[in-house]
Amino acid sequence: MGAMVDYEIKTRRFTRAEYERLIELGVFQPGEAIELIGGELMVAEPQRAPHYTAIRKTAKALEAAFGPGWEVRTQGPIGLDDESEPEPDVAVVPGAPDDYARAHPTRPVLTVEVAESSLALDRQRKGSLYARAGLPDYWVLNLVDRVLEVYREPVADSATPFGWRYGRGEVLDTSALVTPLGAPGSSIPVARLLP
Amino acid sequence: MNQAERTGLHRWTRHEYERLMDHGFLDEDDPVELLDGLVLVKEPQHSRHRTAVLLAARALERAFGEGWFVQTQSPIVLDDRSEPEPDVCVVRGSPRDYVDAHPTRPALVVEVAQSGLRLARGRKARAYARARIADYWIVNLIDRVLEVHRAPARPGPARRHWGYAAIETLGADATLTPLAAPSAGVRVADLLP
Repeated sequence: MGAMVDYEIKTRRFTRAEYERLIELGVFQPGEAIELIGGELMVAEPQRAPHYTAIRKTAKALEAAFGPGWEVRTQGPIGLDDESEPEPDVAVVPGAPDDYARAHPTRPVLTVEVAESSLALDRQRKGSLYARAGLPDYWVLNLVDRVLEVYREPVADSATPFGWRYGRGEVLDTSALVTPLGAPGSSIPVARLLP
Repeated sequence: MNQAERTGLHRWTRHEYERLMDHGFLDEDDPVELLDGLVLVKEPQHSRHRTAVLLAARALERAFGEGWFVQTQSPIVLDDRSEPEPDVCVVRGSPRDYVDAHPTRPALVVEVAQSGLRLARGRKARAYARARIADYWIVNLIDRVLEVHRAPARPGPARRHWGYAAIETLGADATLTPLAAPSAGVRVADLLP
């Protein structure tokens, strides 16, 4: 994490195993929206109505696009790596709910974050983290500019928070259609995702 | 990565922090402290840092004398979200007075800073000022000076705006008097390794 040495502060990092134990022990207050990102405990942005509406609309559109055999999760944990357990706003994973009764999914074919105040975090820090994990298709639904940012093709880049970033980024406005990599036969109007 | 992007960090309460200890996630020897709800990893203890801590402890024991004791790198309680472990602090009474609870209002707090200078001047100074610590010294190992912070004040309305209104930088040839030990003189040279 070479790019992170400039911190004024360095906080104690937690592993994913420690984080899951903290949850089991009930150390966090119920309802606290916490995710483990690169060993740091991050608090998710408070959900305003447009944010949650965007999540529901995106989940419905992706359920229709992917069809049977895929599970669309909203704000569910992903066992990303040894120091990360994010809860992306929407994630598409293979299979059915019972497949993840014992362990969280690890590699969504599509990961979506809905961003208002968290735009910089979602693009840079989470983008770098998801790229490092090799997630092939990462979308940031940008409510500020009312566009969909589509990130693909992870590449190494030591100047980023986790040493990786997406090599391709495309910005689609409300007139565009988007096709998930994991559902090549489908096409979703961007307007259908936005609140 | 600037501070603004880190505002989303989870803030621990002191109660939660203590549960981390109870459950073995942290132990007393871990080089961490709770400041503003963040579990901070402390500056690595180089031999110069350690030497400065011991020098300050010795000088302050001499300056304060009876009725006070000096603790090094031990916890104090500032508020619900802060339980820092200052390098040196001077506390009224005797160690037995604090057998049930950490001291809350030391008469003098000293931090020895090298790589942690920004933290000592920034977030820590704000937290100590907010807790009305009247006398806060930073032994600045980079410039070999003592930075004396006094007169905690809050110019703005928000919590984060607490700070020290009087900050003085003293060179090695200076002598100063701790606020709570008005008849004592401490030579800055005696604090520098």
